[in-house]
Amino acid sequence: MNLIVVGFGFIGRNLIRAIRTKLDIIRGIDGEFRIVGVSDRRGFLYDKDGLDIERLSAMDELHDYGGAYHEGDQSIQLIEESEADVMVEATPTNIRDGEPGLTHIREALMRGIHVVTSNKGPLVVAFRELRELAERNKCEFRFEGTVAGAIPVFSLVRECLQGDRIVRISGILNGTTNYILSKMYFEGTSFDIALKEAQERGFTERDPSYDVDGIDAACKVVILANALMGRNAKFKDVERIGIRRITPEAMSLARKANYAIKLIGTVDEHLEVAPKLVPINHPLCVHGNLNALHIVTDLAGELTLVGYGAGRETVSAVLNDVISILKVKEPRS
Amino acid sequence: MTLALADRPGQLLRALEPIAKNGGNIISIIHERDKPSEGYVPVSLVVDFPTEENFKRTRASLEKMGIIIIKSEEVFERVSATFILVGRIDVRKMIESKIGGARIKNLEVSAPTSKEASVRLDVEVSVDSIDELLRELKRIADEEEAVLISSL
Repeated sequence: MNLIVVGFGFIGRNLIRAIRTKLDIIRGIDGEFRIVGVSDRRGFLYDKDGLDIERLSAMDELHDYGGAYHEGDQSIQLIEESEADVMVEATPTNIRDGEPGLTHIREALMRGIHVVTSNKGPLVVAFRELRELAERNKCEFRFEGTVAGAIPVFSLVRECLQGDRIVRISGILNGTTNYILSKMYFEGTSFDIALKEAQERGFTERDPSYDVDGIDAACKVVILANALMGRNAKFKDVERIGIRRITPEAMSLARKANYAIKLIGTVDEHLEVAPKLVPINHPLCVHGNLNALHIVTDLAGELTLVGYGAGRETVSAVLNDVISILKVKEPRS
Repeated sequence: MTLALADRPGQLLRALEPIAKNGGNIISIIHERDKPSEGYVPVSLVVDFPTEENFKRTRASLEKMGIIIIKSEEVFERVSATFILVGRIDVRKMIESKIGGARIKNLEVSAPTSKEASVRLDVEVSVDSIDELLRELKRIADEEEAVLISSL
């Protein structure tokens, strides 16, 4: 099958590096696997016979590749012209209108191209539309990397909980806030100092509101509700309180009563992101920048998954989605 | 509860009927035959009802059947819950509002360095009224522009 990677940022680059190191496994499943195109904001690389994966994985900028680079051309052209079988959409998240990812995914699905994405924006804005579009065009649409990074929550539910009804999902869905709250819990520091350290370590943007005001976690709540509980939820449906006002005293009071304060996203009848008291012996009580998901179903009861929610580990989820498609789908003739 | 049953055969069985109908699980029955008085025998029962409403309906049925209830006492299953509020909180007002009928077991306030006080409330509340307590605390938090941190 022919793969195109739209977006050559952190995920795009690291995905291609992972593909290089796992090429034996991938070619074992699909001997014809090729990366035929990669795009960034400024242009794209395209070679219908397949790009040199070794060379690609050593590059930080696409134009370093040489001849196959179409400077100034848009990703959308790559999607239209490449006749790819699978697209990985890895442009940055934009939760206002989902763009440019939304247009990329729509265009790919309309052309019968299977889609794998780690980009939350299009799913927060138009989940139902995209899922229906995928079904109409008989396309796979996978997005494991959008929620809790490397934790395989959608695959788990799809493959292993096929007869279960999900009653509730709650979890630590943002690693940065968990890092900050863990710092406050263990070291008694203030929110401001813990935030500064998170910024210095590159865990959060200069404007940290996306993390600390619960916006990122709320996006994940929306995706979980729509993908796993059949809702048609929007971002505004999530009641949201961030962690800016958590004081060291509040953390200390919690700790004395054997609780930690964690920013928890909850999906049941109600959609919520709010700081909660988590008993220290509860499986969700994980620290550092870990994520955790606690799933309650009618048959399995309670399940907890713990892992890394952002960073290089997310590539595991994206690559698994790609491999799953290689396994079940035939290339287009 | 303690019932006064006429000292005739079949009276206990008759009294148990409304209990069974309302889902009552009988924990113990003490038939105090050694304490009859004017043709009545006191029978003390400990029954576990699924809800308060079932208990009320049982009591009403017994009264309708002419069975005398000498004593009845409700013991609600209670659970502990912990909350933290961060903000400018009027603790006295909060206690006086009786917060959803909860019993406050412990209250700790801490505000040495921050602008905002942090208050931890450890309460005991009947299982049935935990939602009401949560609503009440949310209302207080909204009014005072405080942050409510409830348990998971």
